[in-house]
Formats: sequence, C-alpha cells, structure tokens
Amino acid sequence: MKTLADLKKIREKAQEDMKLRGGNVRIKIVVGMGTSGIAMGAREVMKTFLEEIAARNLTDVLVTQTGEKGLSSMEPVVDLIEEDKPKVTYGNMNPDKVKKVVVEHIVNGRVVSDYVVATGN
Amino acid sequence: MQDISLHLLDIIENSVRAKARCVKVRVINNVIKNRLRIIVEDDGSGMDAHTLQQAQDPFYTSKAERVKKVGLGIPLFRQNAELVGGTFKMASEPGFGTVLTVDFPLDHIDRMPLGNLKDTLLGAIIGHADVDFFIHLLYRDKSQELGFHFDTKAIREELGDIPLTYPDVIEYIDQSLFEGIQNTNMEDV
Repeated sequence: MKTLADLKKIREKAQEDMKLRGGNVRIKIVVGMGTSGIAMGAREVMKTFLEEIAARNLTDVLVTQTGEKGLSSMEPVVDLIEEDKPKVTYGNMNPDKVKKVVVEHIVNGRVVSDYVVATGN
Repeated sequence: MQDISLHLLDIIENSVRAKARCVKVRVINNVIKNRLRIIVEDDGSGMDAHTLQQAQDPFYTSKAERVKKVGLGIPLFRQNAELVGGTFKMASEPGFGTVLTVDFPLDHIDRMPLGNLKDTLLGAIIGHADVDFFIHLLYRDKSQELGFHFDTKAIREELGDIPLTYPDVIEYIDQSLFEGIQNTNMEDV
C-alpha cells in the first residue's frame, strides 16, 4: 500500500534532482480535454504522455489539460510549448503517435511534421 | 462517450472551467440498492436557475454568445443515465458551486460500463495540478463495505515545490489509484 512516507522519499530524491538541473520546465504539453476531445480518445492520449514521462524519467516536462479550442475535427489535439519557439499543435493524436512525439520532439527536439495541424500562436 | 468514466472526465473539465479550486468525486457501488452513483461537487462559479436549465438542454449551444460554457456533455450524460432508468440531478448556486448526482441501475444490461476510472482520475489530477481533488470510492454489499479516500491536497503539502508531473509522483498517484480501485471492486463495474 502506498503511504505518505513514500512521498517523503520521492520529495528528497526530486529535490536532489532539481539542485542538479535547476528545476525549470523545458516543454509544456497541453492536451485538449473538451467533450469532443474526450469522445475521440483524449484520455488515452493524456495517459500515454504520463506513462512515457514516467518511463523515460522526463523531469523537465509539464502536462496540463485544457478545454476545446475549435479544432473539433482534428481531436484529440495536443499543444507543445517551448520557450523561444513557436507553439506546435498536433492533431488526430493516438497513443502510438504520442510515443513518436515524445521520442522525436520532446527527447530529440525534432518536430514530427506529419502530425502537425498548426504552428505559432 | 463509451463509458461512465469519460462522462466523469467531461464533468470534471466543466468544473475546472467554472474556476473550481476543489473538486470532490464520489463513486458509490451499492449492490444492496442495485445502484451505481456518481457525485461530482465543485466550488466553482455555479449557475443560476436559468443557466442550469439550459445546460441540460441538448439544443442549447452557447455559440451565439461566442464563449462556450456548456455543450453536449451534460445532455449526453443525462441521456445515457435515463435511457437505462437511471436519474440525473444537477444543483447549483451562483458563487458557491455545482453538485451533480447521477444514478445508474447496477444490473441493467444496457448500462454503460464504469470504464477506466484510474486513467480518468490520473489525467484529471495531474492535468489540473492547481485544483484540489478529493476522491472517495465506496463499495457496499450485504456482507461488507469497502472504502477508498484519496486527497491531492495532502499529497501536494507533502511534496512542497515538487510538481505532480514529476515522474515518480505520476507513478505514485497511478499506483495509489490502482490499489484503491482494486480494493473497492471498481475495476469491472
């Protein structure tokens, strides 16, 4: 059974980790979680991002959810926001595409242009 | 929507968009009463009687107003409950928040499955790191009562400035929810 004592250990480890690399967020992932996004599989998209972050130990990534953005025909939609770079919007996402975006875009810094539906703000 | 958990996720998103700071989710599997009850309570902006009425109308869209507050989510959830003889109730008070109670008859053959409650709650909790979530699962039959409580406020206090998206924290929450769902027989409802 998980207890709050486990959290203490995680906190100590994370604090050490943040001392080493400074604790800033490099990439923000925003998953569209409006009604149409949810109906099209946004929950699985969100879950796959979280799984990949945990499995690859990505400590400089932030994941959040947002409502609809008027791209209903391309749901599930995901924004990747990096400092000093134009926002990249991926559309028609699914767990396999998420895995590719994590490897290519988040880890290796190469935009997966096949899945991009919009760029910039 | 294919399962009740997806509706739940949709409702939680409504609460967050209504600027809720605290969202309480209860799932009660009561075999004695043959009832699966979902309660979502938030402290968001709430709705007046007129808006509350409109929110439940499938032909109401707020497109004319440009700002989309409610859509098909609520009418679809209501329809899926009422189609199998369940009930859907929503109460709200402007400035105080909204409470939604949905009951499904547990043994109805056409009832939607509860679905993947774990991934639903995990996504909602981590995707809205500045909202406090209180999760309460309860299972009741003739011989036993099983409960599970999960409170993200306590977790955040323990973590201090460590974000919920920190990899080990994701695993911690995932595992906690998994155990809680298993212990309250909420896996294949």
